[in-house]
Amino acid sequence: MSAADRAAPLGVGRPRANDTATRFAGAVGRAIRRASTVSLILYTLALGAGIGLGTADYATRGGYPFGGVRVGAWTAWPRVGSVGADPYARAVNARRGEIPLAVGEGMLLTAAHDDAGSDLDATCTYIIAGITPPARAWTVTVAGRGPRDAAQPALREGFTATEILRERDGRFVITLSPEVQAGNWLPMPRASGPVRLALRLYDTPVAASAGTLEAAALPAITRTGCAA
Amino acid sequence: MTPRGRFLLATATGLVLAGLVHIGVVLLIPRLSKVDALSRALVGETLDHAMPVYTLATGDTPSPPEAWLPIPDPAVAVGICAYDLAEGPMRVSARTGPLMLSLAVHGRRGAFYAVTDQAAVRGGLDLVVLTRAQYDEALANADENDVTRDVRIVAPDAKGYVVVRVIAALPSQRPAANAAVQAVSCTVDLPADDKAGG
Repeated sequence: MSAADRAAPLGVGRPRANDTATRFAGAVGRAIRRASTVSLILYTLALGAGIGLGTADYATRGGYPFGGVRVGAWTAWPRVGSVGADPYARAVNARRGEIPLAVGEGMLLTAAHDDAGSDLDATCTYIIAGITPPARAWTVTVAGRGPRDAAQPALREGFTATEILRERDGRFVITLSPEVQAGNWLPMPRASGPVRLALRLYDTPVAASAGTLEAAALPAITRTGCAA
Repeated sequence: MTPRGRFLLATATGLVLAGLVHIGVVLLIPRLSKVDALSRALVGETLDHAMPVYTLATGDTPSPPEAWLPIPDPAVAVGICAYDLAEGPMRVSARTGPLMLSLAVHGRRGAFYAVTDQAAVRGGLDLVVLTRAQYDEALANADENDVTRDVRIVAPDAKGYVVVRVIAALPSQRPAANAAVQAVSCTVDLPADDKAGG
């Protein structure tokens, strides 16, 4: 690149730089130097609208961004259905059409990881064992992200407190696995990808004091093996 | 000001603007959303019983596809009654059965009241959702010798919905749970009816 090339007016003799990054940086630098007030204002507005809308969409897409209480592998969501819910939780509920559980009604707990901290994967086998906090009824369900696979036969999606088979001491052991298992077998909802567990406690005193919940009062999630 | 300074100022202003847009949009989403529970509930506002939101699969019959809850509990039948208190107080009556039932009253900002069938009096659960003015009126008109079993709840906003949840602990109880949701009645409590009934 010669000095004459660089001095040439824009559009007449463009510098033929081999490095695209250098050319891009040069173009940006020139644009900044020549930018008029109007284009700077437009740039400001575009930046504000773009980043503002983008981050708002990101924060309210999918699950709740804040308000969870981590207890072992589980996350309790005691406030998402109450009047004291944070604006993000309200926006998430509104976008998904979700009807959250009210504080006097019950509490939702979700788990996307096992006790070791690795993500729940549909190709692996997990043991969900232990007890639940006091509640009149509870259900454990598993779901994958997005709509369910139509090819997959609709098998069991969860267990309720009444129908589960228990050990002699009242504890229960659920095997979440893609393969058929003895005992409380919960089939994987899909062939591959991440899955989530949901533990819903109905009519429970825990909803009012989720902060005091201990990991020992919730079922432990242990990975026993993976197919792949 | 140098061109670079002008550009940096524009970027900083843009980022501040982005923060304002972010906060504004998050706060406006519940109000503007067309797919939230309140907007969908108002579609079935004319019904005098709970509109089924999630009907449990029974036998070979799968759950109907119009269920719009994102990740529903497969053991809990959900119904919804929308109310508009401008038309009068809303009365929700549920008969308790063998299945666990809960009622939650949601306003624009979230659920402000919830009750389960353990609070039922003689097998019935009667909620009356009213505004502050309607509550004062009901108190003023109340006959002191008349004992009411209604649970009166003052709603913060005129519009909202009551959610009915019935838990089927066993798959064989699912038809009963669906029927129990349908059996909950939601009617506008007109003063004339009140006198005729009392």
